[in-house]
Formats: sequence, structure tokens, C-alpha cells
Amino acid sequence: MTGEAMTTDAAAPSPFTMVTGDPSAMVCEGDVCYVPGATAE
Amino acid sequence: MSRRVNVDFPDPLVPATITRRGRSGSGSEGPSIIRAYPTAEPCSGTGIGGRQHPFAYIVSEPIKIDIWSDIACPWCYIGKRHLESGIAALGADAPDVEIEYHSFELAPDTPVDFQGSEVDFLAKHKGLPVAQVHQMLERVTGVAAAAGLDYDFDALQHTKTLKAHELLHFAKEQGLQLELTERLMRAYFTEGRHLGRVDDLVALATEVGLDADAARAALESGRFAADVQADIAQAGAYGINGVPFFVFEGKYGVSGAQPAEVFTQVLTQVAGERDEAAA
Repeated sequence: MTGEAMTTDAAAPSPFTMVTGDPSAMVCEGDVCYVPGATAE
Repeated sequence: MSRRVNVDFPDPLVPATITRRGRSGSGSEGPSIIRAYPTAEPCSGTGIGGRQHPFAYIVSEPIKIDIWSDIACPWCYIGKRHLESGIAALGADAPDVEIEYHSFELAPDTPVDFQGSEVDFLAKHKGLPVAQVHQMLERVTGVAAAAGLDYDFDALQHTKTLKAHELLHFAKEQGLQLELTERLMRAYFTEGRHLGRVDDLVALATEVGLDADAARAALESGRFAADVQADIAQAGAYGINGVPFFVFEGKYGVSGAQPAEVFTQVLTQVAGERDEAAA
């Protein structure tokens, strides 16, 4: 596994304890998918 | 069957479920993804008066996993596979889990009948450079292949997914949401099926065992439209801007198509916390 799991992402406005996991994991928002914090694809 | 949406995560989300655990002599038994209800097979529980009861079961609650996703989200299908692999990696030690999908409409402005390919849509409708579109589709196709998914963006029919989400809520009511989620994602990404029209959706619904007339009535009446919007609103309240987004036990949030090992680790963590609490 890359990255550190089970760490809190203090920047996320989430009620959950965010698992960092792999920081390069992709998410989709609108019609673009991207790595959070990186340039949108 | 999964509970209806509402969602106040600090409250208990997990309905009490009767599951059989620790079947002796079965080292190959994998994780149970809900619907693990009693069978007629006796197990070694103790009944009233200390007598062995042939149908005694340990009452436990599966670990709840809430997932926000969209059928048209390529990383959601990949994330789904990674989650499944992460659960399977725990083998016989895997905890029982209950998975519930929640709606997240990625592109509400998408027309139902967009004429053109995925490249056309992203390049013309969204203004992305064609070369960049090709590059991102090649990348996601490669990652999907590594996850065992055969994405076909040339065949993909871009469409609005609102009705598909309504159908998923109907399927949840019928206890077939997981089956339909898999069927719709496969239809969209690997078979080039159209998921924006009622007729096409009803056809796919019947393939997972849903009643055609009831599915059509659910879609045509818009009976589940409010549930879809409630899911989307809940995502907004939680600060969920992108999908897939996984929530374990209403406590741990996992964003993105994380590797299987991440899901394995989170499940192990949650199961360990349960054991500690029960000790």
C-alpha cells in the first residue's frame, strides 16, 4: 500500500475520520476525475 | 434489505442482522456481504434451558459500508472492485459487511440522449483538449483492466444517470441494490448500454430479478426521485465533493478508488475496535 492509512485529514470538512490511504487515488467530480490536490485530468 | 437513507451518522446506522459466524470445519468460507440469514443447517448454539438448539445463531451486526457513487463514474466501478478485493483478501477472517449505495449525480446537466462518444462529450461539451481526453481514458482503461474490468469507451453511451439512480433506490427497497449496481456499471462501461432511458433500465432490472412492471412504475412515477436528491444533499452536508466515497461504520471516510489493501486495513481496524469494545 502506498501512503499512510488511518490518519486524519484535518483539511477535510468531513464528520468522518478520513483515511488517507493512497494519496494518488482518483475521484470524480463533475465530468473530470483527478487526484485530490493535483491537476485535474 | 438495507435501511432507507435518512442518515445521521452519529446514530446507529446498522440494523440488527442475524448472521451465522464461525462455521466450524470450513476454512474456505469467505466474507459474507449481507443477506446471510439463517439456513436450516444446525450449529452449536445453546437454547433455552441449556439444551442444544438446532437453530441457534449468534446475533451480530455486519460492518456497515456506505458508498456514494455514480454509475457513470469510471473510478467508482474500479473502487467497487478494489473494495471487493479488499474484503476477499481477509478470507475466512473477513467480517460480515452490509453495503449500501447512495446516489451522487456527477453531471446533472448531461442530456439523456447525447449524440457522440465519450471523447466527444468531454472535448466538445466540457471543452477539454482531445489529447488530454484520450490520455485520461487510456489511463483509466488500464487501471480498470488491472482490476479485471474491460472498459470500452468507444462503445460507451454518455447519458444522464438520474433515472438509473432512481432504479437503484427501487432495487434497494427490493433487496437487490448490490446486484443492480454491478449490472448497471457493467452495462455502462463494458457493454455500451444506454442507461438513461426507462425501457433500457427496465430490461436491465429484470436481469437481476426485479419485476419489470414494478420497475417501470417506479421510474415513470418518480417515486424515488426524492430519495436520490436526499442522498445528494447528504453528500453535500458531509462535504463529499467527489466519488467514490466510502464510509465505514459511520466513522471512517475513504475517498477515491483506493487500493484493495486500504480497504482491508480499514475493515481490520473497524473489526478490531469492535472486538475491543466487546471485550
